[in-house]
Amino acid sequence: MDIHVNINGQAVAWRANPGENLLDVLRREGFASVKRGCNQGDCGACTILVDGTAQRACLLLAGQAEGRSLVTVEALGTPAEPHVLQQAVVEHGAVQCGFCTPGMLLSAKALLDENPSPTYADVCAALDGNLCRCTGYKKIIEAVLDASGRLRK
Amino acid sequence: MIENAKVCLYPKNPGEVVRILEQEGRRALILAGGTTASQVRDPGVTTLVDITRMAPPTDALTHEDGEWFLGCNLRIQQLAAHAGLKQVFCGMLCDAALSVGSRPIRNAVTLGGNAVSVFRWSDPPVALLAMDASFDLVGPERERTLTADRFYSRHPRRILKPAEILKRIRVGVPSGRHGGAFFKFARTAFDLAVVDVAVCLWFDSDICSRARVAIGATRNVPWLSTRAARMLVGKRLEGKSIRAAARAAREETKTADDIRTGREYREQMVEVIVRRTIERAGDNALGV
Ligand SMILES: Cc1cc2nc3c(=O)[nH]c(=O)nc-3n(C[C@H](O)[C@H](O)[C@H](O)COP(=O)(O)OP(=O)(O)OC[C@H]3O[C@@H](n4cnc5c(N)ncnc54)[C@H](O)[C@@H]3O)c2cc1C
Repeated sequence: MDIHVNINGQAVAWRANPGENLLDVLRREGFASVKRGCNQGDCGACTILVDGTAQRACLLLAGQAEGRSLVTVEALGTPAEPHVLQQAVVEHGAVQCGFCTPGMLLSAKALLDENPSPTYADVCAALDGNLCRCTGYKKIIEAVLDASGRLRK
Repeated sequence: MIENAKVCLYPKNPGEVVRILEQEGRRALILAGGTTASQVRDPGVTTLVDITRMAPPTDALTHEDGEWFLGCNLRIQQLAAHAGLKQVFCGMLCDAALSVGSRPIRNAVTLGGNAVSVFRWSDPPVALLAMDASFDLVGPERERTLTADRFYSRHPRRILKPAEILKRIRVGVPSGRHGGAFFKFARTAFDLAVVDVAVCLWFDSDICSRARVAIGATRNVPWLSTRAARMLVGKRLEGKSIRAAARAAREETKTADDIRTGREYREQMVEVIVRRTIERAGDNALGV
């Protein structure tokens, strides 16, 4: 079946089994930033934006993506021109192994799109479904708060 | 991966869903939020039915003539954040919705999926049972409405007839003095419930005239502790009656060990959490 989606601003049609996990399809199509962690919705490594909301790619089937607008970290920024969130994460040393970072960034982006002036507690709540097993959360939360300040300027 | 899925259909209204389910029978699998359905490994499934494209009001939350209408495709996060619903029974359904998983999970999970494919530890169904919600179903023959007591008298999958779906849930806006509270007791912020309790209380001046004490995470569906309610009705809400109700709820609890905790601990926690939730509902009602 052809699955028509808008991915990172581009309209595409993917040939896929409608019962395949969207995570598998995304990785096959080259969106390697979407990581496979627990594969059951717990860890947040495969978080993407679906019509602007943070969701788990591992809990969606390809058929459910039909007609939806998807965003992965590939669309956020480039090494030469990183997104403010990416820049803040680098500057705050909020990355060690980096496995959870794409999911963290997208949960943070969804938060800032909805609430440009989040509190510390708002950031914790928005990221509470993204597990990090090496950096810890403090620097990540500080980076998101810093990015929100820069975006408001 | 549902390996033998050949097609995904996008019906536009409940009638179309029912027709597809009638035609396809066990070959069809409903996808709402997909958070449980995507984990299904059934080689017999060939047709996926994405019901989230149904036209409004299946994804709407509206208020009319003293009742809230909650469409089956509302996402749990929409419920959690709804300002109007925060006024109904002191926001207990919003609290229950907010306790579901993490934000990305709540963005995906639908009210209908959560209500029908209920797990032992599911949170919103416990609040819906305490609030005495009504469940509007659409099937091949006719539409019918079930009370929450009936809907959760056993697993809803066994209550729904073949090709029948849940279209919406209705919650009445109580009049007079009343209060509600929901309490999830879990090991961590993100974990599934060890015990869930939801309580609704109605008052005639300061005498409790009606009580619904719903308990979750102890059996495969949420249940009402009628003995606890009996200890409250006709009395002032005070330490003695609240403690007696909490004890009664514990005595009525039938539960088992699981990976989260043992039976005995869970029974003890039923007593503790029922007591706290009644106190909270009472405070909400009496304006303490
Ligand atoms: C990591 C994680 C943590 C979670 N934590 C919690 C938690 O703490 N508390 C909690 O309550 N839930 C929690 N959930 C959600 C819960 O486990 C279910 O996944 C969810 O409620 C299913 O809803 P859905 O909309 O995704 O349904 P789907 O997965 O799309 O549907 C499952 C099935 O339900 C039936 N169905 C769905 N909608 C209808 C309808 N309108 N009419 C008839 N039948 C229908 C169909 O048989 C369908 O196949 C969690 C889920 C995950 C993945």
